[in-house]
Amino acid sequence: MDPTKELLDQTLLKIAMAAYITGTLVFIWYFLARSPLMRKIGIALAIVGAVAQFAELGARWNMTGVWPLTNLYGSLSLFSLFGVIVFIAFAFKYDLWFIGFGVLGIAAISFGYATTWNEGTMPAVPALQSYWIKVHVPLVIASYASFMVAFVVSSLYLLKFWFEERLGRGTNVRASVAGSGITLEIPVRDDRSSFVADAATAGKMRVTGVGSDTPNITAAAARGDALGIWLAGLPTLAKLDIMTYRIIAVGLPLLTVGIITGAWWAKEAWGAYWQWDPKETAALLSWIVYAMYMHLHTRNSWRGRPVAWVSVIAFATIVFCYLGVNIFISGLHSYKM
Amino acid sequence: MTTPAPGSNLLRDWTSEFISLFANILFAVSLFGVWGLLTLIGVVVDQGKDPSFYYQNYAMPLARLTLRLHLDNIYHSAAYVGIIGLILLSLAVCTFKRVIPARLPPLRAVKIDKIPLNATVTVRGEEEAVRNRVESFFHARGWEIRKKEIGGEEWTFADKHNWARRGVLVAHIGFVIIAAGTSIYWAKGFSGTTTVISGQTITIPETNAVFHLDRFGYRIDPITTKSGVVYQPIDYVSRVTYAGRDGVQRHALIRVNQPLDVDGTSYYQSTYGFAVDFVVTKDGRPIAGGPDHPLKEGEAFPIPGSTRAIQYSQFVGTIDRRTGGQGADPRPNDPGVVISAFEGEKPVGRALIPLGTSIDLGAGYRLGAAKYTLYSGMQYRYDPGIPLVGIGAFVLLAGLCISFYLLPARLYVQLTGSERAWNVGIAATTVKGYDIFEERFRELVREFERSEQPPKPTSAGSPALRPI
Repeated sequence: MDPTKELLDQTLLKIAMAAYITGTLVFIWYFLARSPLMRKIGIALAIVGAVAQFAELGARWNMTGVWPLTNLYGSLSLFSLFGVIVFIAFAFKYDLWFIGFGVLGIAAISFGYATTWNEGTMPAVPALQSYWIKVHVPLVIASYASFMVAFVVSSLYLLKFWFEERLGRGTNVRASVAGSGITLEIPVRDDRSSFVADAATAGKMRVTGVGSDTPNITAAAARGDALGIWLAGLPTLAKLDIMTYRIIAVGLPLLTVGIITGAWWAKEAWGAYWQWDPKETAALLSWIVYAMYMHLHTRNSWRGRPVAWVSVIAFATIVFCYLGVNIFISGLHSYKM
Repeated sequence: MTTPAPGSNLLRDWTSEFISLFANILFAVSLFGVWGLLTLIGVVVDQGKDPSFYYQNYAMPLARLTLRLHLDNIYHSAAYVGIIGLILLSLAVCTFKRVIPARLPPLRAVKIDKIPLNATVTVRGEEEAVRNRVESFFHARGWEIRKKEIGGEEWTFADKHNWARRGVLVAHIGFVIIAAGTSIYWAKGFSGTTTVISGQTITIPETNAVFHLDRFGYRIDPITTKSGVVYQPIDYVSRVTYAGRDGVQRHALIRVNQPLDVDGTSYYQSTYGFAVDFVVTKDGRPIAGGPDHPLKEGEAFPIPGSTRAIQYSQFVGTIDRRTGGQGADPRPNDPGVVISAFEGEKPVGRALIPLGTSIDLGAGYRLGAAKYTLYSGMQYRYDPGIPLVGIGAFVLLAGLCISFYLLPARLYVQLTGSERAWNVGIAATTVKGYDIFEERFRELVREFERSEQPPKPTSAGSPALRPI
């Protein structure tokens, strides 16, 4: 093997890993302190990491002559790269930089774990010698990466919701039912407190939005509570919910196309487009759970916390499908020894 | 006047309850949940194994549970097929009860300020001119304008991406087409596996296609990895001469990922192996009744004149001469075979015989493994449903994209006021709730507000707006 190419590969790998780890720490700082400088540094590190990792995959391809997706090392590398790319794309469009710590953290962990599966240069087995590998694997990995970003956003939703409930404790209203001696504790909660936002605009324009959905956090912030102020600076629950939906709306069609191209490939390689292989069925399981998410998201009463939990559970099925099945369950996609 | 029979009422009630249950999205989601759970069981529990496998590898209660509940073949169980049937039924009822009726909602008056997304912009001008400006503003941005007089008041309705309300319908149709394509395979398709030894000819029973295996070749390379040397398969290839329905002989190569199509049936390279010639002798002379053809792994033959049988269990490419066992290299450098002896059904012993040698079976009998011949394992499949499944997958995907990326929305516009000062009340509804459209609605209202302002001589820009 060409030592210069190997050195380049290793150098790029180290740059990418260093950028992700540093980027995670910087974004944690940004998340906690909301420092604009940290945000800028974090963005730069995320971009540097993604570019270096992309270059590393290219260098590896050039060095080995094998498409770098034929083993878990290659696919996990691609997963972390796509995760960072999806994050950067959504963050630029929707100002989602506050989730950078989670995405870059997971990218760093998965990239680090990937290196433990690096066995050196291995030619592809006959089943993987197909142009479909260049279509199917990136599509599926891109869907996993999207779901990972959605998982981070919905986790943040659940965190903020938990704080909202925690801060809301003690604000219950006591109500007595006359003559019965019964006293009820009624929690004060106003999920959709509409408010007039622009009444002061020269009397010309008045826009009513759907408004604040965390009145307890807003109240705590108004009282000067440090945690309340910090939480109030996070996007609204509604925005987090919509972001999760939008990211899953990217991931689910990708997963669908990934399953379809995988089926097409399986038909060419093994003679049947569906063989109930554990990997196929685990991918179907993930598809089912994300389809549940999408159906539930059409219902007003299920939007918000319930679908955020579904998103978290759905990502658990992705981890099971991606790593659990490949590593621990024997099948056509198995890495089990 | 006739009184309806109690039976017809009962049927009507039952039908109504059935439709309302199966049209309920939460019921559909529950069915998805059960489908997911059964699929998860299928992933975790090994499928299609012999009962002894479960008893050997699972805890006894789990093995019993697996076999008793038929979890070992869950994808073909009544429960699994039934749940898919229920999902299709729910999908059909939902489509006709909810999706198709939810086309263009009727034009009706609303209370603008009761809709969470609402805005009021005060503008000046003649009523007709204001109406025209409002319409042309939204029309220029791709909104389809409709007007209707309701209760003596003129309402303007603006719709966008109305056609995208059919996205769910398209996705459902895709799902049904996939199910239909799969059913066609069950009804008319077939599949099977076959093996052919180098130099031999076989006929596929379902198609009468004839295959002669001219030669089978493989390539396995030793690769040095960080964990040591592994023997990586690189290529398997069958050189065949075949004849289809027309009887014309043709030559072809069949590789993994390169199947051969003969009269609409595809033939795949699926496996390979080493067929071995065994010779049984008694007192040094070959006996009648021994194997008369090369055996493949797993095949067995009886020892004539005894209750014993010999099974060819495994081919060993390279015998490790230091240990006398199986070496790591699967290539036939120093080959041998593992045989198992059975007394009736009971295994009584195993042995590794180097090729070209023999072992003593007792009572003057000897078993020799003479030579090997490569054979190719092929899978064949005729599936007339594949084009339909492909179309269904494309339609499903199109439906998902339409549903996810396009947002059908309606604006309700009402003019109130008098003389030259008019309040333009605008409210918005979408099929995906209000939150998702809030930013776009705010932008629209801002743009409209700006379009109503006379151009200013200074570069002060639009009035400052506090964020919502």
